[in-house]
Amino acid sequence: MNAIFFSILAIFSLFVFMNLGKIRASKKQMDRDDRIKWGNRRRKSFFKNRSTIIEGKAEEVKDDAKK
Amino acid sequence: MSKHSALNTFGRSGNPAFTRNFDDTGAVPQSERMTLDGAVNKTAILLSLCFGGAFIGWNVPALAMPGLIIGTILAFVTIFRNPAKAGTTAPFYAGFEGIALGGITVFAEAQYPGIGIQAIGLTFGILASLLFCYKSGIIKPTENFRLMIFSATMGIALLYLVSFIMSFFGSGIGFIHSNGMFGIGFSLFVVGIAALNLVLDFDFIEEGAEQGLPKYMEWYGAFSLMVTLVWLYIEILRLLMKLRSR
Repeated sequence: MNAIFFSILAIFSLFVFMNLGKIRASKKQMDRDDRIKWGNRRRKSFFKNRSTIIEGKAEEVKDDAKK
Repeated sequence: MSKHSALNTFGRSGNPAFTRNFDDTGAVPQSERMTLDGAVNKTAILLSLCFGGAFIGWNVPALAMPGLIIGTILAFVTIFRNPAKAGTTAPFYAGFEGIALGGITVFAEAQYPGIGIQAIGLTFGILASLLFCYKSGIIKPTENFRLMIFSATMGIALLYLVSFIMSFFGSGIGFIHSNGMFGIGFSLFVVGIAALNLVLDFDFIEEGAEQGLPKYMEWYGAFSLMVTLVWLYIEILRLLMKLRSR
């Protein structure tokens, strides 16, 4: 009898987890400034290694020309 | 700079399992990136293996201790040696821990009939409710939250280690195992911390899928969730045994 109860509970729990787990977290959860940044250090170094120099011919930009 | 000196000294996380494994995602092709569905499917596979192992442990309780030792070794190998091989080690970990949990549950059931089903029900009840709270944004994990949970988890681990070492000399930290108010309070605290670790696991998986980490991190995320679930189940079982023995 115990084994049947255990099996039913296990299958039911798996079913609930599979359905609930695949739903994406709400915007309220994802779009926050204070989220945990799990890979912050790595990401910083990734961007740090990228060159910020823009290749090509330099042109002088005059403020008057913009207007 | 952060206002937390610990963060400035040790980086964003003190947990080696998490900080070392967030690779640069720029070079990972789309098809080889971690997804939420993939991580959930792999957790379901590990849970199924754990149930299978528990069935073996339930019928052959003598395998509980070898299962526990092998499972613990596999957990340390996965965390500290080679997380990229989590796809190989995590299923074995789940199977062996399942055998251990099955055996432990048989011993608990022999003393307090019906305690196993209560512990499993509570474990998955907590999992489902915390998953809902996380997905809906009711619980919002922050850096402070992580520091707090990490410190508490390390404190508990240290206390258990000291108690384990003291047991070799015929001594121990009494209140951890007692069924008095202090012992039950301590168990409630540990169950709370284990449960809140689940929230960190959910956030780790969600953020990993969002950042498009390598595919093997699906296994690693599922493995982290399994470790927390196994710990939570054991602590709930201990709490229920203390309550029933009063």
